[in-house]
Amino acid sequence: MICAGIDAGSRTIKIVLMTAETQEVIAKGLADQGVKQDKLTSGLFQKLLKNSALDKKDIGRIVATGYGRNAVSIADTTITEITCHAVGVRHLVPDAMTVIDIGGEDSKLMRLDKAGKVRDFAMNDRCAAGTGRFLEVVARRLGVSISSLGQMAAKSRSPAPISSMCVVFAETEIIGLLASGVAREDIIAGVQSAIAARVTSLAGRNIDLPVVFTGGVALVSGMDTALQSALGQTVTVSPDPQMTGALGAAILSAEQITHY
Amino acid sequence: MTDMPRQITLQEWDQQYEQLQKAGLYQPDYGGLLSRHIEDGDTRLSKLRYDNSAAALRLWNFLLTEEERLHKARAEGKKLVGTMKDLGTIPVMAYSLDNLVAFYPDGAWWIPCVMELNTPLLRIADTLGIDESFCPVRAMLGAFLTGAHFPIPDLLTCSVGATCDDFSAIAQRLNGLGYPILWWEIPHRRCPEPDEPMVMLPGGFLAPKSQVEFVESELNRLKTALEDLAGRRLDDRKLSAGIKKANLVRSYLAELRQLVFTAPLCPMPALEMLIAEMLAIHFCSDQNETIIVLQGLLEEVKSRVRAGVGFLSPDAARIFWVNPVADLQVMNLLEDCGGRICGTEYLFTHALDTIPQNLPPIEALAQMALADPMAGSSIDRASRICTDIRTFGAEALLISRIPGASHCALEGQVIGEIVQDQLDIPVVEIEVPPLTGSIRPKLCTRLEALVEIVKKRREK
Repeated sequence: MICAGIDAGSRTIKIVLMTAETQEVIAKGLADQGVKQDKLTSGLFQKLLKNSALDKKDIGRIVATGYGRNAVSIADTTITEITCHAVGVRHLVPDAMTVIDIGGEDSKLMRLDKAGKVRDFAMNDRCAAGTGRFLEVVARRLGVSISSLGQMAAKSRSPAPISSMCVVFAETEIIGLLASGVAREDIIAGVQSAIAARVTSLAGRNIDLPVVFTGGVALVSGMDTALQSALGQTVTVSPDPQMTGALGAAILSAEQITHY
Repeated sequence: MTDMPRQITLQEWDQQYEQLQKAGLYQPDYGGLLSRHIEDGDTRLSKLRYDNSAAALRLWNFLLTEEERLHKARAEGKKLVGTMKDLGTIPVMAYSLDNLVAFYPDGAWWIPCVMELNTPLLRIADTLGIDESFCPVRAMLGAFLTGAHFPIPDLLTCSVGATCDDFSAIAQRLNGLGYPILWWEIPHRRCPEPDEPMVMLPGGFLAPKSQVEFVESELNRLKTALEDLAGRRLDDRKLSAGIKKANLVRSYLAELRQLVFTAPLCPMPALEMLIAEMLAIHFCSDQNETIIVLQGLLEEVKSRVRAGVGFLSPDAARIFWVNPVADLQVMNLLEDCGGRICGTEYLFTHALDTIPQNLPPIEALAQMALADPMAGSSIDRASRICTDIRTFGAEALLISRIPGASHCALEGQVIGEIVQDQLDIPVVEIEVPPLTGSIRPKLCTRLEALVEIVKKRREK
């Protein structure tokens, strides 16, 4: 039996197909999110099925997660991204105790127990300063691509101090920094530090190790070191970080098939 | 029992009302269709889901007719006492005199919550320099200035000291606008020094005897003011009778809480329980009717528990809720997300405890005032929360913050850490602004995730 996990995120849709019995990933795919979320999700799902020579009837169960989870009409059920990311990360990094997920529109920190269950979590979704959105804003303002941000930040010699309180005001700060001749590399490194500071404030006083970093922003090089620096702890980037939510959803759908 | 328990919309309540009437429903003078209350712009009411019992109907009608009741009391020649920033002490004194009616002007913070954008109260507060960086209780300023809600009280009292900073600023602004206020001080409750005479307060906290004596002196000052207003003496006999009546309210609430929070099936929704609990602090401007309303609710709950019926799934996550919400819809939302309330701490736990009846009445009230969770440390508050979580068997703690409300903005982390250390249960904080429509999906994610965590923890 094959099962599916769909992570309908704010910026991208991710789908993982997996065999329920062995939990082996047989296909995965990603598409940009848009206005017609359900249609985009169905389109990606059909594409994955076709590429894998499968039919909808081959799929035993579908779990949707992510911000747009309730808009996924092909899903049998929904589970929050908190649970799904934790399950996905724990599958890939079995000793993970803290999961930091930075996505396009929010960031979260999940604390796990030894069995891998979520103990509690904290989320920032009121302010874009701790999210991937901040990186998009700075990339646009500096006229560079998001994929080049990490390389540029690595060249920074003196990261510029930037407010972590508000992206709108931070953008104004960036304009001021550019006008005063601060190097783009230093601005980017400063923004990465600001995001990291914002996210690590979710951790409170205690953080259990190891810390695993996941979500689309984990693909931006330099963000892991910014987080390490802010936390004062080693941070490991999860394998395939953008897919961990969908992977967790697929694993949970597999468990549900087994359970029922 | 009225009917099989169900949560129904305002529209459905109109049909239910007709059926109840046909079945011989008794209605008090403030009774009637619930939908009539949205005629003055209470749009939020049309978005809530209500318990379908006659007892709940009476509760809602009682709550939503308070303004009419206050105007009627004034017309009858009764004197009105606005007891600001007082969670359950001065109203007990005021209701001990039969020609006084106490109410809670701070309660105006709920007007914009239910009327959404149809009230200018917050805009008026903005123009007075009390903007959205303050607690939504700032709506009270607008209510005073427009006079459109409650009548201007004959006497305004307000506690200061170990109370909310925001409220102190708002009340001082009100004072500056020409509304005289009788201030009384509640000191920050501290631990007694090793050799210092001490008192065990209701609720179990210790306080120096000198602090109790100080609050007694403040309450005596208030007693004199109430006597002057009423033109009658407030002797110990009357005060003791008033305390006894307040304790009756508290005992009904205690029984109601115990039954609702521990029943296998939830017999009364979170929303109605929140409204019921609030009666402990202000009596909704009619102490006698409060007793009748609570008796009705208690009977309904008892019959539901006896019949083994209720709301929600038997496996609903058992959540202990801290702080009241600024948007009542969130109480419905918790249940939509698979949770049920099993324990609450809405910042007035002390007003649910029995007032000692074996002490001189002013001393007993002083002890109660000093037992206020807001008058002590966050550690004390967390300690009481831990005790109540154990009592009600809650599986998770949800701390709800109100933007701008300084009395709870910083306490969440302290409470959360202590509860986790002592009880090892999941703790999640949410922020509930007065209008949650745009953040509903985000709130859902948090609540659903908390429910998922609770259910996962049940698996061995």
